[in-house]
Amino acid sequence: MTSGDRTEDLLRELAPQVLGTLARRHGQFDACEDAVQEALLAAALQWPAGGVPERPRAWLLTVAGRALTDEWRTDSARRRRETAAALDPAGLASAAGHRDAGAGEDDTLTLLFLCCHPALSPPSQLALTLRAVGGLSTAEIAAAFLAPEATIARRISRAKQSIRQAGARFELPGEPERTERLGVVLHVLYLLFNEGYTASSGPSLLRADLTAEAIRLTRLLHRLLPGQGEAAGLLALMLLTDARRAARARADGQAVPLAEQDRDLWDAAVIAEGQAILAATLGTGPVGPYQLQAAIAALHDEAPTAEETDWPQILALYDILAAVAPGPAVTLSRAVAIAMVHGPRAGLALLGTLDADARMAHTHRLEAVRAHLLEQAGDTAAARACYLRAARMTASLPEQRYLTLRAARLR
Amino acid sequence: MKYMIMMFGVTGAAAQDRSPEWIAGMHELMMKLDTELKESGECLASEALADPGQAKTVRFVGGTPVPTDGPFAEIKESLVGYWVVEADEERVLQIASRVVGYTECPMEVRRIMDHSVQP
Repeated sequence: MTSGDRTEDLLRELAPQVLGTLARRHGQFDACEDAVQEALLAAALQWPAGGVPERPRAWLLTVAGRALTDEWRTDSARRRRETAAALDPAGLASAAGHRDAGAGEDDTLTLLFLCCHPALSPPSQLALTLRAVGGLSTAEIAAAFLAPEATIARRISRAKQSIRQAGARFELPGEPERTERLGVVLHVLYLLFNEGYTASSGPSLLRADLTAEAIRLTRLLHRLLPGQGEAAGLLALMLLTDARRAARARADGQAVPLAEQDRDLWDAAVIAEGQAILAATLGTGPVGPYQLQAAIAALHDEAPTAEETDWPQILALYDILAAVAPGPAVTLSRAVAIAMVHGPRAGLALLGTLDADARMAHTHRLEAVRAHLLEQAGDTAAARACYLRAARMTASLPEQRYLTLRAARLR
Repeated sequence: MKYMIMMFGVTGAAAQDRSPEWIAGMHELMMKLDTELKESGECLASEALADPGQAKTVRFVGGTPVPTDGPFAEIKESLVGYWVVEADEERVLQIASRVVGYTECPMEVRRIMDHSVQP
């Protein structure tokens, strides 16, 4: 690890703490967020060469505090940049106090809840969370989402404006709102993970970063709220899923279905960590959808070969999931489990109940699963028609290629 | 100079009667070309479009815009993807020829207007 990497890790860890302290002192979340970004930039430029200050958190607080004062004195962005660049890091380390050190983690939690404010659209929640809590720059976020930097910059500034307009304050919401908002926070982290994980083509290294960031933030959330079973469940789900990353795509970007993956490529250490978190969580409280999905992922991970997968146990978990959190996506997965336990025709019968579901009208998943089950049932002609229908419906290039090839094999 | 290279109707439904080997070969060619053009710095943008079967067309009918299902052109003639490249015409035609040599489907090459004031 280079000193640049160490600086980056340290900055990402400190970013939400510094922003939290500043926002708590001054209010004005949006101005504070800009000021912290400036301080992070100054640190990223100065620390690798000049050395990390003795008290990095205090350094950042001082620089951000000055940027904030300057922001209030004048609107000139030019002058703000000059001030930040002219700051002398050596003289600053002792300037700011340590008073707020203990509040850092609570602030991070408050920040996470603020960035996942329900007034924001999911893309805005994701971008703002990455910047304010994750400490990523706008350019890094843009690279991760394959979007122009200007688009992400506008998305973040609109998100901050929406928070101001919604009258949100920098404080943890009280119950019952807190529980409700935790659900949104978990969902945002889940989306973040999927955004990185489902991108199996293109510049996937950057997207893998997004997955790592989602895991890092969920790990942080789990540490702050150890008693929340669903936060633990989500972390376990991410780890148990991400452990298979190396086996998920061929070198050419082609996706490899779970059953055909080389299990030697799965990361045993990551699986063990996910299993341990799950084992420590299950049974300690009400079981939620993330814990159930993690338990299902764990069963897949534990099977030495695809044939040895404990499908009856997976089906039992899907039955509970369908009762706790019913939805078309759960029905789809449950149909696959039913097919594995009771045969493809039984799975196809359950799929039939989704035909009239409007939520399935715009996704290729129903047709893709039906095609697989029809192929298993030996109905080649119908399977081929379903693969082609699914290929026409998908907006994912790797999926389209996979489905078209699958259809061509049944010609 | 910037050019847009447009590809028509060789993916999705239009490829359904080809052999698995042909389809795999086309995927390979597309990815290889895409990587080459990005690594050489010639490619400014490239996208594949979802199947034209998913398209909607908005037409001006009876004095009002009316959206209908389906693409403007026939499926076989529909745009399925494009590259925007920075290169001269000769090079652009060379790129397009490489694809057409495999797919046997036509491609269109169009110069992109620039914003500079010509003397």
